[in-house]
Amino acid sequence: MSDITLNINGETRTASVPPETTLLKLLRDYLNLAGAKLGCDVGDCGACTVIVDGQAVNSCLMLAGQADGRDVITIEGLATRDNFHPIQQAFENNGALQCGFCGPGVILAAKALLDENDDPDVATIRDALAGNLCRCTGYTKMIEAVQVAAGELRAEAPQQLSHAKSEAAS
Amino acid sequence: MSDEEKVLEREKVHLDTALRDPEIDLRLPAVVPREPYPIETLVPEARQQTRAVGQRATRQDGRLHGLGQTKYIDDMSFPGMLYARIKRAGIASARIKSIDTSAAEAIPGVMAVLTGDEIPVNSFGPSLQDQPVLCAEQVFHAGDGVAAVAAITEQIAEEAIDKIVVEYEPLPAIFDPVEAMNEDAHKVHAPGSNIYATKAIRKGDVDKGFAESDHIFEDRFTTQMIEHVSLEPHAAIADWDANGRVTIWATIGRITLARADIARTLSMPMSRIRIIGTVVGGNFGGKNEITQEPALALLSKKAGRPVKGVYTRGEEFTSTTTRHPIVMDYKTGVSNEGKILARKVRLVLDGGAYCSWSETTLGKACILSPGPYNIDNVVAEAFVVYTNKTMTGAMRGFGAPQVCFAYESQMDDIATKLGMNPLDIRLLNAFHEGSSSPTGQVLHSVVVKESLETASARFRWQEALT
Repeated sequence: MSDITLNINGETRTASVPPETTLLKLLRDYLNLAGAKLGCDVGDCGACTVIVDGQAVNSCLMLAGQADGRDVITIEGLATRDNFHPIQQAFENNGALQCGFCGPGVILAAKALLDENDDPDVATIRDALAGNLCRCTGYTKMIEAVQVAAGELRAEAPQQLSHAKSEAAS
Repeated sequence: MSDEEKVLEREKVHLDTALRDPEIDLRLPAVVPREPYPIETLVPEARQQTRAVGQRATRQDGRLHGLGQTKYIDDMSFPGMLYARIKRAGIASARIKSIDTSAAEAIPGVMAVLTGDEIPVNSFGPSLQDQPVLCAEQVFHAGDGVAAVAAITEQIAEEAIDKIVVEYEPLPAIFDPVEAMNEDAHKVHAPGSNIYATKAIRKGDVDKGFAESDHIFEDRFTTQMIEHVSLEPHAAIADWDANGRVTIWATIGRITLARADIARTLSMPMSRIRIIGTVVGGNFGGKNEITQEPALALLSKKAGRPVKGVYTRGEEFTSTTTRHPIVMDYKTGVSNEGKILARKVRLVLDGGAYCSWSETTLGKACILSPGPYNIDNVVAEAFVVYTNKTMTGAMRGFGAPQVCFAYESQMDDIATKLGMNPLDIRLLNAFHEGSSSPTGQVLHSVVVKESLETASARFRWQEALT
C-alpha cells in the first residue's frame, strides 16, 4: 500500500491505497469526492478532469502516488458556503449543463484556463476545452458561459488584473 | 414591440418578473427555487406565439450538476457492496460447448459467479424477446455476455472473468445485411428467417409515375453503425434483500418497461421489484431497455450483498445498442421542371443480433423515407434483418436521420443534373399546408417552405451561390 498525503481543496487529506490506484479512484472511492466522473478511463473524454498544481489533468491517467504532496482542486472545492464560483453560476445561467455528466470536468478545465488567462478569445476557450467531450452537444453554451465567467472574474478582481497586466508587460 | 413582449403585455406579466431573477439567494445547499417563468394552462390558437417561446429558462437540475453534487449510479455505494464484471464472448457466432467457472470461484474475494443457465427466463427485449441476459447455449455476436462475476473489488472481478474458461464450437456467421436476406444465408436465430420485420407503404401508381417522368435517378446510399457514447456508461446497482425483494438503481429512461422485463427474466411478480431510475448521464436512446440488471440481481441474490455493475467504455461499443446502418436504394422520377413524379425506396436495416427497438425504427424510417415532399406515386418497403453484429436499437430520430441523408443527397444530385438551384427544387416539391403524407395523413401547421426561405435568407444562400 502507498500512503498518500495531498492537499485537496485547501485541506490536507491522507489515504493508504494500493499502488495501482489512480487519482480518480482515490478521490471517488477513498475520499468520497465523486464530482470527478469516470467516463472512458483512458483519458479521452475529460469527465475526470481535476486541477493539480494549477494544471487541468485527466485524473484517470494519473496515479494517486503521483499526486502525493501536491495541490488538487476538485469541483467540490469551487463553491463557498455562500457563493458559487462565477464559472458555476455562468454555466447554470447559460444552460451549459444538460445531462451534467461532463460538467465538473468542463468547469475545471475552464477554471484552469481562466486562472492563466482572464480574457480568452473563443479559439483559446475551444482549445482549452478540447479535451472535454459533451455528447449532449452543448459546446456553444459552454463557450458563452466561460466568456461570461471571464467577465465576472475580471470585474471581481480589478486590482489583481491590473497587477497581472503590468507584470505581463514588464 | 417584440412578439414575446406583446404576449406578456396581453397576459399582464412584466418581462422582468416573468424571467427568473439571476440574483436569487445563493446559499448552499443549492436547490433552485421553484419560480421560473410562469406556466399556466394556455391553449394557443394555431401559430399564436405563446409566452414560453422566446423566454429564457434555466434547468432546475443544472445547479447541482455544476456543483458536482448530482448522484449518478457510479457515485453511489452501499455497505458491503460488490463489483460485477461480465465475461464477453469475443466470437461472433458459436455454440457454447462448456463454461468452466471453477478457477474464478476459487479466487479469494469472488463472492458469486453466474451463468446463463441459472437465469429463470433467459430472454428479453422491448418487442421481440430474442436477447439472452447471458448466453447459455449459443453466442450471437462478439459482445454477448457469457458469465458474470461479483467480487469485493473491480480488479478481482476482472481477474475472475479472465479465469473463466469457455469452450466454443465456431458456427458460420453473417455480417452483411443484404446478404443476410438470401434464403441460403446463415440463419442468426435458426430456424427463423433473418428478416424479422417488414413494412411497406404504397401510394398512387409508381409505374405510371416513372413512365411520365423525364428523368429517372437511381442511387444507393449507405450509413454506418453509430454508438450513442453517452458520457455516463451503462450502470446499475442491484440489492436483493432478505425478504426476497429486489431493488435496482439503474440508468434507464423507461423504468416501467424495465420493471416488466426484469420481472419476466427473474420470473417473479413485479410487486417484488423496485426500480429507481437515477439521473441519467446521457441517454440518446441507448438507455431505453435493460442490459445487465437481471444478472446483477441474481448475483446479489447469490452473494447476499448489493452488487454494482458499470460497463467499460469498450463494452459500451460492443455490448449495448447502436444506430442502424441502412442500405437505402432510391429510384426517383422527375419532370424537366424538377417536380418529383414518383419515388421508390427500398431500405434494408442492419438489425444486429437482436431486435431491441428495431421494429419502431423500421416503421419510422419507412414512413419518413420519401421525404417531406408532395409525391403522388410512392412505394417504400423496408426490411430489418439479423446479422452477427452488435444489436441496433433506438437512437435519436429512430431511423429518420439515415433516410434524410439519402433523400436530401439525391435531391442535390437531381438539382445538379437539372441545373436547378438546390433550394428551388425543394421549394417546388416541399409539403405545404394540407399536404398529405405518404401514409395519407393530412398535415397541418406545415412551415417547411417558410423555414427554408427564412433559413436561406439568414445565411445568405443566394449570395453564396453567386
